[in-house]
Amino acid sequence: MLEFTARRILYSIPALLLVLVIIFSLVRITPGDPAVALLGEGATEAQVKALREQLNLDLPMHEQFTRYVTGLLHGDLGTSMRTNRPILQELIQRLPATLELALFATLLALVVGIPLGILSAVYRNSWFDQAARLFSLVGVSVPAFWFAIILQIIFALLLGWLPVSGRLDPLVRPETVTGFLILDGLLTGDYDAAKDALRHILLPAAVLAAFYGATVARYLRANMLEVLSSDYIRTARGKGLAEVKVLLKHALQNAMLPVVTIIGLKFAELLGGAILTETVFSWPGMGRYMFEAIKVRDYPVIQGATLVFATIYMLSSLLVDLFYGVLDPRIRLKG
Amino acid sequence: MTNLTRTQSQTGAAARPIWVERWLQRQAMTLHFLKRNPLAVVGLVILGTILLGALLAPVIAPHDPTKVSVKEMLDPPSAAHPFGTDFLGRDLFSRILHGGRNTLAIGLAVVTLAFVVGVSVGIFSGFTGGWVDVVIMRIVDAMLSFPALVLAIAFAAALGPSLTNSMLAVALTLIPQFARLARGQALGVRSLLHVEAARSLGAGTGRLLWKHILPLCLGPLLVQASLSLGSAILQTASLGFLGLGAQPPTPEWGADVSAGAQFIRESPWVALFPGLTILLSVLAFNLIGDALVDWMNPRTRKGY
Repeated sequence: MLEFTARRILYSIPALLLVLVIIFSLVRITPGDPAVALLGEGATEAQVKALREQLNLDLPMHEQFTRYVTGLLHGDLGTSMRTNRPILQELIQRLPATLELALFATLLALVVGIPLGILSAVYRNSWFDQAARLFSLVGVSVPAFWFAIILQIIFALLLGWLPVSGRLDPLVRPETVTGFLILDGLLTGDYDAAKDALRHILLPAAVLAAFYGATVARYLRANMLEVLSSDYIRTARGKGLAEVKVLLKHALQNAMLPVVTIIGLKFAELLGGAILTETVFSWPGMGRYMFEAIKVRDYPVIQGATLVFATIYMLSSLLVDLFYGVLDPRIRLKG
Repeated sequence: MTNLTRTQSQTGAAARPIWVERWLQRQAMTLHFLKRNPLAVVGLVILGTILLGALLAPVIAPHDPTKVSVKEMLDPPSAAHPFGTDFLGRDLFSRILHGGRNTLAIGLAVVTLAFVVGVSVGIFSGFTGGWVDVVIMRIVDAMLSFPALVLAIAFAAALGPSLTNSMLAVALTLIPQFARLARGQALGVRSLLHVEAARSLGAGTGRLLWKHILPLCLGPLLVQASLSLGSAILQTASLGFLGLGAQPPTPEWGADVSAGAQFIRESPWVALFPGLTILLSVLAFNLIGDALVDWMNPRTRKGY
């Protein structure tokens, strides 16, 4: 297992380097002088010169890259052109909001997706299956930004059950322990704050969970169908095992394996989808920070946020692979 | 296979030419496929309707999609404006019909570009093997290390906001997916006997790839393409929503939702209809693609 872990980590190094090259090239593929493009038409000569210096654009390409990577190793993601604050700090400050949203959405997605996938496979081609498949196809087809708006219209504006946007009522101020507001509220005994945070998170989490839960249901259905047609299931049934036991113990365990991969990878993609969702719900996370940077073409911030999203994505696929190795010796032992 | 068909047609009431026989067979198979996949039929109907609306937009659109009319700002749906009007008094129904032309063209162009580039790279990589393959696949892996939407946003922001750039950005995120799949297919096919035979007859690399390898890889790639159409439309619309895609006054569904978003309190229809059409068209492609995936997989097909 140790060897497998080491090998897998070594393998991700070249990928990480290439990711850095891609992100590094982003500013440099801008047509024309990137400094001019970044500052806009009305920039003065001095401004352009200052920016070129700040971004090291006058140095040869390989030296620019070396500096960029050295900076990263020192935890320097650059400074925002708009606020002049260090980007890493700004991102770390917003990370808990995004993570809380993503984790809560994952929970919702699994609670809905797993039963849906199982039932759909068991009652294959029944009306329930057709309805569930249609439902999960709608889930992966719906534009997140539009679904967010529709939920706002229905649950916040028409029914008035939930707040339109934000993460917390401005009057509520729970003490910070973990940065996850619901958890903080519960930990400090401030149940009103926890309830308020919960009311705020429901709609954005539902938007993210729609895509996520639908994906889980689709994969689980497909895997369950494969597993259910295999011989050992027939054996289990043949020896008179209760159907519930066959399904939940024998079939689900094997069918869930590939789904674990999907859960891991989609979790990271969820963070990407957060850009749209956080924007619509004014959720103070990394996604909204990136959106604000896009609006004013704050390049270093876009680069920094992209890097953080890619890193989370790579980390979660690494974790999924390792976890998979623990579960399945065939993968661990294969060259 | 050919012989079989011929004998069958000879035993039939009247001997039909072989191509008619083949055509009939194909029709029967299509019909069988559609009968077993009611959801695919739903997809085809939705797609057909949207396609028709988009193609006939100049004829059936009741108004000019970019004509501003201050007097009719944010009018609710009525006989004159079936979907209402937007914040500039433009007829939403006409904008959606015309926007559909853009959206479908976007999806098709993006997927075609990604398909051609991705499949060429992937098949070449898989066929050549060795260090070329390793290098290409490492780059592909690196590109797949980004959440697709994040990469598309980063590219689109770097290239500058415009419809063409947002399409390029989305195509760039799809290319590695096609390359990956095509490489896997090529790896499986390259050592087949007929390829060996063609090679020993002196066929060059280009001819081998084009005539002997590509045709065998096409099936799964085309299914992937039909699924990608949906995500291409979704992603481009998302970029449009973020202001990185089509610029005003071009009618585009994603950008139209974005423009309507701030008026939902009083006039929910401005965001409702353009988004609904995005949902329906992506859904249509996914319904069709999904049924095709099921159909291509012998294991899931067994139940039919």
